[in-house]
Amino acid sequence: MKRTIYVLLSMFILSSMLLAACGTPATPAPAAPAATEAPAATAAPVATEAPAAPAATEAPAFVGDKLVAPDCNYGGNFKSVEATDQYTVKFSFCAPDPAFLAKIASVEAFDIYSKANLTAIGGDATKMNDAPVGTGPYIVKEWVRGDHITFAPNPTYFGDKVANTTFIMKWNKEAAARLLDLQAGNVSGVAEVTADDLATISADANLTLYPRHVNNFLYLGINNTVAPFDNEMVRQAFAMAINKQKIVDDFYAPGSVPATQFVPPGVKPGFTEGYAGNTYDAVKAKQMLTDAKFDFNKTYTLSYAERTRPYFPQPTKIAQAVQAQLAEIGVKIKLDMQDWAVYLPAARAGKLGLHFLGWSEDFPDATNWYDVFLTGSSPQLGTAYPDIVDLIKKAATLSDSAERQKLYDQVNALYDQHVPMIVIAHGTTNLAFQGGIGNVVLGPYNENFPYMTSADGTVVFSQDGEPVSLMCADETDGSSFRACNQIFSKLYRFDWGTANPVPDLAEKCVGNTDATEWTCTLQKGVTFSDGAAFDANDVVATFSAGLDYKYPLRKGNTGVFQYFKDLFGGKVLNEPAQ
Amino acid sequence: MIQFLVRRLFLVLPVLVGILLVTFIITRLVPGDPCYVMLGERATEASCNEFKSRFGLDKSIPEQFVRYVINIAQGDFGNSLKDRRPITTVIGERLPMTIELTILAMIFSSTFGILLGVFSALNRNSIVDTLTMLGANIGVSMPVFWLGLLLAYLFALVLKGTPFQLPPSGRLSAGMSLIPLTKVWGITDATGIKAFLLAFMSNSAILNGLLTGNYALTLDALKHLILPAVAVGTISLSVIARMTRSALLEVLGQDYIRTARAKGLRYSMVIRKHALRNALIPIVTIIGIQTGGLLSGAVLTETIFSLPGVGSRMVEAILGRDYPVVQGFSVVIALIFVFSNLIVDASYAYLDPRVRVK
Amino acid sequence: MRQRDNPYVIMLRRLFQHRSAQLGMFLLAVLIICAVFAEQIAPYDPIVPLKVGKRREAPCIHLLGCPADKPEHLMGIDGNSRDLFSRIIFGARLSLQIGISTVTFAIIIGGLLGAVAGFIGGWLDDLIMRTLDVLMAFPSLLLAIAIVAVLGPGLINALLAIAIIEIPIFARVVRASVLSVKELDYVMASRAQGASEFRVLFTRIMPNALTPLIVQGTLGIASAILSAAALSFLGLGAEFPTPEWGLMLGEERNSVFNAPFLVFFPGFAIMVTVLSFNLIGDGLRDVLDPRLVHGG
Repeated sequence: MKRTIYVLLSMFILSSMLLAACGTPATPAPAAPAATEAPAATAAPVATEAPAAPAATEAPAFVGDKLVAPDCNYGGNFKSVEATDQYTVKFSFCAPDPAFLAKIASVEAFDIYSKANLTAIGGDATKMNDAPVGTGPYIVKEWVRGDHITFAPNPTYFGDKVANTTFIMKWNKEAAARLLDLQAGNVSGVAEVTADDLATISADANLTLYPRHVNNFLYLGINNTVAPFDNEMVRQAFAMAINKQKIVDDFYAPGSVPATQFVPPGVKPGFTEGYAGNTYDAVKAKQMLTDAKFDFNKTYTLSYAERTRPYFPQPTKIAQAVQAQLAEIGVKIKLDMQDWAVYLPAARAGKLGLHFLGWSEDFPDATNWYDVFLTGSSPQLGTAYPDIVDLIKKAATLSDSAERQKLYDQVNALYDQHVPMIVIAHGTTNLAFQGGIGNVVLGPYNENFPYMTSADGTVVFSQDGEPVSLMCADETDGSSFRACNQIFSKLYRFDWGTANPVPDLAEKCVGNTDATEWTCTLQKGVTFSDGAAFDANDVVATFSAGLDYKYPLRKGNTGVFQYFKDLFGGKVLNEPAQ
Repeated sequence: MIQFLVRRLFLVLPVLVGILLVTFIITRLVPGDPCYVMLGERATEASCNEFKSRFGLDKSIPEQFVRYVINIAQGDFGNSLKDRRPITTVIGERLPMTIELTILAMIFSSTFGILLGVFSALNRNSIVDTLTMLGANIGVSMPVFWLGLLLAYLFALVLKGTPFQLPPSGRLSAGMSLIPLTKVWGITDATGIKAFLLAFMSNSAILNGLLTGNYALTLDALKHLILPAVAVGTISLSVIARMTRSALLEVLGQDYIRTARAKGLRYSMVIRKHALRNALIPIVTIIGIQTGGLLSGAVLTETIFSLPGVGSRMVEAILGRDYPVVQGFSVVIALIFVFSNLIVDASYAYLDPRVRVK
Repeated sequence: MRQRDNPYVIMLRRLFQHRSAQLGMFLLAVLIICAVFAEQIAPYDPIVPLKVGKRREAPCIHLLGCPADKPEHLMGIDGNSRDLFSRIIFGARLSLQIGISTVTFAIIIGGLLGAVAGFIGGWLDDLIMRTLDVLMAFPSLLLAIAIVAVLGPGLINALLAIAIIEIPIFARVVRASVLSVKELDYVMASRAQGASEFRVLFTRIMPNALTPLIVQGTLGIASAILSAAALSFLGLGAEFPTPEWGLMLGEERNSVFNAPFLVFFPGFAIMVTVLSFNLIGDGLRDVLDPRLVHGG
């Protein structure tokens, strides 16, 4: 009897294994076949969704798409996006958004996709990865998973001609291996050079070091609803007890600076020149703690995750340094290292005491700093401060930089008084290139790979991780963004080496007086890499996918499209109820 | 013989079911959220709740398990949470790499291991024997990640510029393309198992190069595999050498060897015709076990040499809480392990008739 | 031949004459001395960072020409400004603790399981052995990583994971020994005398398992130390600032091209330690295996 059961079970399992092999959905060759290099672009513009296409000899009349929010009560800022004619798109918002240009130029999440292509693939990122269709300077020739992506110049690119013949993106988690590849000449450039390798690179005459200043910060998070940190004096004392300069000197790459106030020096308006609050004063800090009747006998936990970021280059060593500095004023600290997958949700849920986290700027505007951290209460950091919140909200609606700066000056002073969190340092990253690679211009948001020159026309770059997907509308990691940047274009982009938005796919975007409406005129005669012509409906389709859960072409990878939420008010249309 | 195999196959089944259950439970028990790993600093509770419901992670565990088993029965191993690619595709990409490494490592370790073992056995208790066995012992005692790093240092840095220089990491040099076979041969209508096999062969750089005549590709892939194969093969080499020596010694001490020599047979003939063949049994067993172990992914070697194989993907998935990958790969790895043990047992039965009768 | 000689004494004497085992015991002795007298031998504190000295500075050995005014660091300074030699010495203590604790735990649990399985037999035997088969069907490192992922990183959890993956081996050894003597005459005799099952198990059967357990235990210590080093290398075992050799390798693996000594010495220490246990285990196996005594 037992034997028969075994026989049946084995037949069942074996046959389903066989079925698995045969019934595998036709897995196309994983190495992505090249996005069809369209030699002959179709002449007629893409017909839009005119239900009854007139059987005419001339091109059918253009019907513009639009997406309109039913009202402004759903919780987000987006109101509508409409293709008013074939080459004009109008965005409108519930509340003023003066930073609109900076936002759409910043993250690769706002790459513009072809509506026809989205329709063909159903908006699915896995299909996009196999055959991406974009308007960028490059097209994908092959993606050998786990090893490299090869890019070739896009023959129908509308911008300046690409200066090299091949661009290869590789990745390697080991910084030492990346450096060795660079020294051996196997790659032209590497990202994320560690602090220890800087000396080696500087000493090597064949290599050039390129520092890159991104606005970021590392902060020590405090929950102000939990004693003893509900006492403002205690928070101020902690802020004064940390010797930020020493930490930067010991553990950060050259070019990094200690924090003097809430935002990094590059955030303008926002940064108050010449201002430095809560300067390092261990004696005073100890005195303040004693006055506040701080319990020196208790041991406090400081949590962190061993995950290297530009703002947190050596997590464990920095945590140890802070522990030692607090020990000098008599505060007992126990370090608690956690796994990132556990750490972040715990921090967000407010389960950790003191903890380290950081932030890198998404787009160059003060609203990506103050509004993110200081305008709302959260389980992580506790209650917000009403005086700070009012000032920040007011500044977000203004367009005049000088006016905004006045408000932010006040916020900076209040930050020192309330100490919602302790910002410690702003880290610089470094990239290194072979000396023979010319015209290397690195900005906080992009690298000009299409315009770098090399002796044999090939540029090879090694970063620290494989891109997750090429549909960056639904991604948040830098490895994917760097790849997307090569094959897609946005309405605006940042000028090489700067944080100044300049037109790209749009000829110009103009805002109305209170920045609630932005009208973009698009470039004409641009074609996607599969030959389809670019027009306003492509822009509408792209933004609809990101802003409306019910849009039929919204699939992506995880389907979250996080940046659309973050940058347009926190919520998008038709979000499922929690 | 068939009966023996079938009997052994039955014993495999409860093990497989157990593996499925255990991996499922372990992955669900693991604290930490895949959503937070993937969205990074931007993750919010709202986004992650949405993420969970989309992937069915908010249902109860028994319900998830039932759903999973039903899918497996239909051949659907699920999709990776990281980029939603089917697990079968991911395995099809990673497994060829691991197989290449395993084959090279086993060729290296078997050849030299057996040679060393035979040499030691025939010159028993000589200084060579002692040194070889000490060397084998050292080989087994070395941490593979240490050996790999030292080899990388030696061949990539110390020997830089010499013809002996070898790349310290990666699978291919920049500029080498791995063109899928479907494209090279112009096959556009492959589906199902044919497509899978073609994709599988395309992903083996060595095979791909040989089949398409792109010998530079094969050579480049081989060059990149030499150091990892030596690093991971050294341990197998040492195990095989020791086993060969002891097996051969045991056989040589048997009566029938003495009889053969007494009959006047030349010693070398004795070795070749009688001793080796019988000593081969435990040696084959060991080689089979080592191969099975290597096929399951040489995690440490792949990490150091940045090889995109099964082991490194598995570790990534465990740390990134990519449950479908952990489960799918566990089942595949366990299957490989179990079937390689089965093959070893079968070969054991084939070579040694006494085993079959039991 | 002296009839009165205790068989264990004979075994021990043979062991001391075994060439490989001699080397192994010598190495182990060195390690034990380092472990016990770490505070005396190590010139610096293994955890507190040095005030003087550059990070990742090459070894400075006065005997080999390093100027006398520079502080001596036999193996150099690591990335956290600590003396590597001192850390290696303290690491010996930690490694021995790791090896012995995991194997003891695994022997107790595994031994019990194996004894029960072998002695009682039947469906319980099947159940236990199938479960252990499932455990053994996984490559051990991956299983350890998975267990640590469930329990969280940390040395104690890593040790638990390693102990768990070692249990099946010891269970098998004990079960095999139990099975081989279960039906033998002297066990029957004991039963006939009225001894309880429990007593029979522990006084007659278990001692039989002692010798293979000793051999396997020694080899198990070797593999436990390797596994612990591997887990710490991956960042899943010992945590900063523990002076664990695998952790030292893992922390400095990116320095292999700038400061190879930081990679060489910890790995060498692991190798020597594991080698000593392997040699002793081999020697024990040779000495305790009756077949090899006469013709091997």
